[in-house]
Amino acid sequence: MIIEAHDLRKTFVARRGRGKTEKVEAVRGIDLTVSEGEIFAALGPNGAGKTTTVRMLATFTAPTSGTARVAGHDVVKEAAKVREKIGYVSQAGGVDDNAPGRESLLLAARIAGLSRSQAHTRAGELLETFSLTEIADRPVKTLSGGQKRRFALAIGLVNRPPLVFLDEPTTGLDPQNRANLWDEVRALRDQGTGVLLTTHYLDEADALCDRLVIIDHGMIVAEGTPEKLKREVAGDVVTLKLDDLPSGEKLLAAQPYIKETRAEDDTLRAYLDDGEHNLPALLRALESGGLAIRSISLARATLDDVFLRHTGRSLRDAA
Amino acid sequence: MFRHTMLFLGYELGNVRRNPVWPLFGILQPVLYLLLFAPLLTTMTKGGTLADALRMFTPGAMMMIALFGSLFTGFTMINETRNGVLERLAVSQAWRPAIILGRVIKDVLVLIVQSLLVMGVAMLMGLRLGVASLLLMLLLMAATGLFATGISYGLALAVRDEGGMSQIVQFFALPLTLLAGMLLPISLGPQWMQTVARFNPLYYSVEAGRSLFAGHLSDSTIPIAFGLFAVLGVLTLTWAVRSLRSLAG
Repeated sequence: MIIEAHDLRKTFVARRGRGKTEKVEAVRGIDLTVSEGEIFAALGPNGAGKTTTVRMLATFTAPTSGTARVAGHDVVKEAAKVREKIGYVSQAGGVDDNAPGRESLLLAARIAGLSRSQAHTRAGELLETFSLTEIADRPVKTLSGGQKRRFALAIGLVNRPPLVFLDEPTTGLDPQNRANLWDEVRALRDQGTGVLLTTHYLDEADALCDRLVIIDHGMIVAEGTPEKLKREVAGDVVTLKLDDLPSGEKLLAAQPYIKETRAEDDTLRAYLDDGEHNLPALLRALESGGLAIRSISLARATLDDVFLRHTGRSLRDAA
Repeated sequence: MFRHTMLFLGYELGNVRRNPVWPLFGILQPVLYLLLFAPLLTTMTKGGTLADALRMFTPGAMMMIALFGSLFTGFTMINETRNGVLERLAVSQAWRPAIILGRVIKDVLVLIVQSLLVMGVAMLMGLRLGVASLLLMLLLMAATGLFATGISYGLALAVRDEGGMSQIVQFFALPLTLLAGMLLPISLGPQWMQTVARFNPLYYSVEAGRSLFAGHLSDSTIPIAFGLFAVLGVLTLTWAVRSLRSLAG
């Protein structure tokens, strides 16, 4: 296991003026295991405690309680050893805006212990990998968001770490750059580098990760592969708008092929397996019940449905 | 440890070399003071020539860059608390004090070059200065700069807000300047001012600078100033390095 965390907790003491303080429990008991070379995602709304968790695992913040071992070393007692084995790309990126990206990369390489010539070689490789060679000598502030993010990633990989932390790696990127970054993260896994990424994008966790945890209010509410988590909910979801929502829900919940129903505002979500074949039966049931359908759609269940099931609210509303 | 300090220093000097204009702006103020203010003092000084006025006035004008220039260097670091640079360095293999020390040494080196330029201008205007005085003055500038940059980085990491930091710096800078006798010697003022000035460390660096420029190398103000700033420099730098930890919350 490259990460083993047990009951990690972090409480911040926030000042509230006039000497008053307030305790904020950002992380409230998180257990994690991540194996070598897998892409592991922490999915959750903003403020769920994802960043704090990653910061504790990356030795930036000391946990209030609990223990964690990263790459075989304790994150508090052996922080220096952990730091040799990890790359950390924060949400903000951490690339010096005023200098050319090449300089930041070289400095990071030298700090990681490479000699001057080794550092140049390593920087050259990474610039090539991330197609940054052409723009390596331009001040970073003149680059686009996607280019900056690629520099941040390159700097995080300078010491060839077996594990990289990517905190919200695609926030603020356009779809094209997001897709490119996903490819780069997959390429990391192909080379055997483990990745722990945080995200509040469902599709990102779904498309990218081997396993994930869903975090809400500082706690893990679900854990598993995307497929397993979605299967627990159901294969498909029928989303309906009805004039008489309560009776509709009662009627559908009584159908044998419906696993679960959930009413939200003016829409009803009915979870079922094998939706294509069961949809006609569902329509007949509603018709015989005399319920008028305003709209209906069938879709594969997503991680949002998983989130909804475990937290009672949609991730889109949770942020 | 030393290697990391040198790495950060090299990186910072690279940034200065790519953008050498800003340190030059920094010496504009003292040079203007030399050109447009020192001549007003000729009738007030013993001897009554411009060279005499410069001997009295130049050390104060130089201490202005040691104070103002250095107190503002921390502003760059406020940005680095937000853009993730410090966060990344904190979890890298870097020896943490090197992050501050590399920057401070860069600031001190820039300050020494600025000092040389200001002294060069003063000499062109007629100031005469011995080699020993010149070298000791550079050292005194470095010691004062060390103290002020330490405060600046410490403040930047503690306050982490440009608006708040500029208010604090402005609030302290003017009284410190006036009560150090940077423009005119405190000895011209009333007794109470002279008493208050003794609690201002910069008073000692200005006085020591004047002794150096007057050629009184055995004056007691000189060892006092060096001793004081050695201690204060270590204290403020320690504070700045410790403030790095508070980043993590």
